[in-house]
Amino acid sequence: MQKPHRLVLDRMSGYADEAAAYVRRRRLTRKPFARVYTRGGGGGTHSAETEGGRELFLAAARLIDTAR
Amino acid sequence: MADPLVAEAASRTDLTATTGASARAIECFLASTGELRGCAILGPGGVLAASGGAGKWAESGQALLDAADGAAGETATQAHVATEEGEAFAVRAGDLSMVAVASRFTLASLVFADMRAALRDARSAGPVAEAG
Repeated sequence: MQKPHRLVLDRMSGYADEAAAYVRRRRLTRKPFARVYTRGGGGGTHSAETEGGRELFLAAARLIDTAR
Repeated sequence: MADPLVAEAASRTDLTATTGASARAIECFLASTGELRGCAILGPGGVLAASGGAGKWAESGQALLDAADGAAGETATQAHVATEEGEAFAVRAGDLSMVAVASRFTLASLVFADMRAALRDARSAGPVAEAG
């Protein structure tokens, strides 16, 4: 039978592995996006295929260049 | 005694400011996490404080705010655009606005909360002065 602290360590490292795998998957699958929120809490996502979305991505790229 | 994190952030970003309260607000904001690359606070007359050249921030910051308004079809209060190169944020509070750039995968809710706090601090000094 395993010592109790071994059991806890195994379980904790199992959780850590799961969390690391989740973060890796999230980074690999996350795509660029644009979200805009308005007064009252409403908001929406704008894809780069729409005119408004394209303007948002262009403006964001310029802002990111400014911070370099 | 000055906060060493704030002092480090100020030296890291070559702070340009036209009002003291806004400058202090963005110093504290940039000190909150190392994932922020730069930011600016904009008033009705232009940039009140910025990390780096105020002129460039005025143009690109206003462009992001205008694009957010155009996409929403009304006045936007917050915008978050995530790209491969980094993440751009914009927040409006009354006649003040703030734009910021962070590294990829920054927690957006925390950045927005810090930006709103920075705008509150900037506003706490009183009425917004027109930027020169």
